[in-house]
Parts: sequence; C-alpha cells; structure tokens
Amino acid sequence: MTEAETSPAAFDRRMLEALVCPATQNRLKYDAERQELISKGAGLAYPIREGIPVMLVDEARRIDD
Amino acid sequence: MTDDTQKTTHFGFTDIPETEKAGRVQGVFNSVASKYDVMNDAMSLGIHRVWKDAMMDWLAPRPGQRLLDVAGGTGDISFRFLKRAGRGHATVLDLTEPMLVEGRKRADAAAMAEQLDWVVGDAMALPFPDNSFDVYTISFGIRNVTRPQEALNEAFRVLKPGGRLMVLEFSQIPNDMMQKAYDLYSFNIIPRMGQMIAGDRDSYQYLVESIRKFPDQETFLGMLRAAGFGNAKYRNLSMGIACLHSGWKL
Repeated sequence: MTEAETSPAAFDRRMLEALVCPATQNRLKYDAERQELISKGAGLAYPIREGIPVMLVDEARRIDD
Repeated sequence: MTDDTQKTTHFGFTDIPETEKAGRVQGVFNSVASKYDVMNDAMSLGIHRVWKDAMMDWLAPRPGQRLLDVAGGTGDISFRFLKRAGRGHATVLDLTEPMLVEGRKRADAAAMAEQLDWVVGDAMALPFPDNSFDVYTISFGIRNVTRPQEALNEAFRVLKPGGRLMVLEFSQIPNDMMQKAYDLYSFNIIPRMGQMIAGDRDSYQYLVESIRKFPDQETFLGMLRAAGFGNAKYRNLSMGIACLHSGWKL
C-alpha cells in the first residue's frame, strides 16, 4: 500500500473532495484496498485504475448489501 | 435533427441507437490515442495549435483559477491553460482511458503534476458538485458527445456563478465554394492520412463525417443560451473551419 501511495500512478486522496457520484451527485468513500470509490446511495463502486478514477456508471461494480 | 428528442443519433453519417454512441466513440479514441497528437498536426497542418492558442487568448486564464477540461484527452488545453495562469488547477476529464494515460505520459504532465487531476467520466453526467469550477473547456470534443445539449447543461451546473464556458470545435464554412474545397480535402485526404499515420482509416472517416454533421455556429450558439449561458458569442477561426463559442454563467 505504501508503494502505491508514493508511485505517480497512485490515487490522489485530495481528489475525493472534488468528486461526487455521477448518478446521485453524493459524496464518495475511498476504499484504498480495493482501489474503488464507493457510492452508497447508488450502490456502485467506481474503479480506480492506475490512479485514474473511472467515474462511469457502466464501468462501476454493483454492490449488494 | 435534434438529438434530444430522438432515440437514434449520428455516428458520422451513419444513424445508430443513442445507446451505442458512447461505446463507438470510445472505440475510435482507444484506437487513435497513441497517434492522436501526430495526426492532429498532420490533418490540420499544425493549425490546431494556432486555434488552441487563440482559445487561450480569448479565455485569458488568471492565476488561481480552477479549470475543468472536458474531452481533455492528451492534456493539450490544460497544459496551455496552466502555463498562462501560472498558479491554478486543471481537471482533465475524458471518456476514454487510453487518451488520459497518453496525456499523463507527456513531459508537461510530469512538470505540472501537482496542478493536474485525471478523471474518466461522461460529459453528460459529470462527477463533480454544482458550482465547482471557474472555467469549463471542451476542445474538439463536443461533437462526439451523444447529446451535446446535455453536456452544455452539465457545464452550466458545475461552473461557479461568474464562471465561463469555452468550446472549440470544427464548424461550417459560411462560404459555399470554400466549403466545397474543404470537403474535398477532408473526405479524400484525411482518411488516407489516418491510414498512413495511424493505420486506421475508419476512425478518421468518422472524424470527418462527424465534423460535417455538427450544428453550425448560430445553431450551436442557441444551444449555449438554452443551457443558461449569458453573453454568449462566437468567433470563427480560419474562415469557420473551426469556431470558438464563449458563454458565462451569470
């Protein structure tokens, strides 16, 4: 995890403040382990690939809870 | 004609279901990403750089501004913006991941890494809160959006009050004879160049067809106004081969 945080391809946590879920426009939760941004309201997890958040509903993983 | 009311849209000269457009556009840009800058230079004989500089002249970036650069792909607009603004921040958003990966590899991206964010997203459903940015740009991107009016509405939403939109896009030449000469060039030469340089004729065939299908200057100006933009204006570049549209969230 520490390696991921120092590499240039790591997700910049400051981006969390700037991003919302494109479906609900609510705030997101960062899951560092899975490299996902969680939208509880929409039940979606947006992947982060090589540090780039992929904020597309079609690319998001559905979360069942 | 209006994309908003019909269930089909155009992909170049072909009518396709609206739901397929984003995927098809992604296909085009996944295919051309690594050759995109070289091709732009070849197709426009380097003039796209002049147009982008003209965009910056009119935009006049100021220190500390936050830019959202939609369809920002390889970072061309964001890098220019940050160099002119000095202090500032740019978020580069694109529908196509390989375009962003390509942009992040560029030397300017490394030099300005602290001032740049890279996000994959959809212009019609932006992943940002209301009133977030001082400036919104979209350069040679809006004609690829399935429903351009929705992209403009989203631009209005995420701009701060007093924020500014600027769109750079290919447009229609008001002079018929010039338009014919230009069509001859674009339909005959550009797909061949695409084949030679990028090994991809179809993607460049799409590019020239999509240019011809895009609304003319006045029609597009009306779309800015419909989205809520005030003081909306446009300037032709190279006789209307390209055009800049500007509007304010007043």
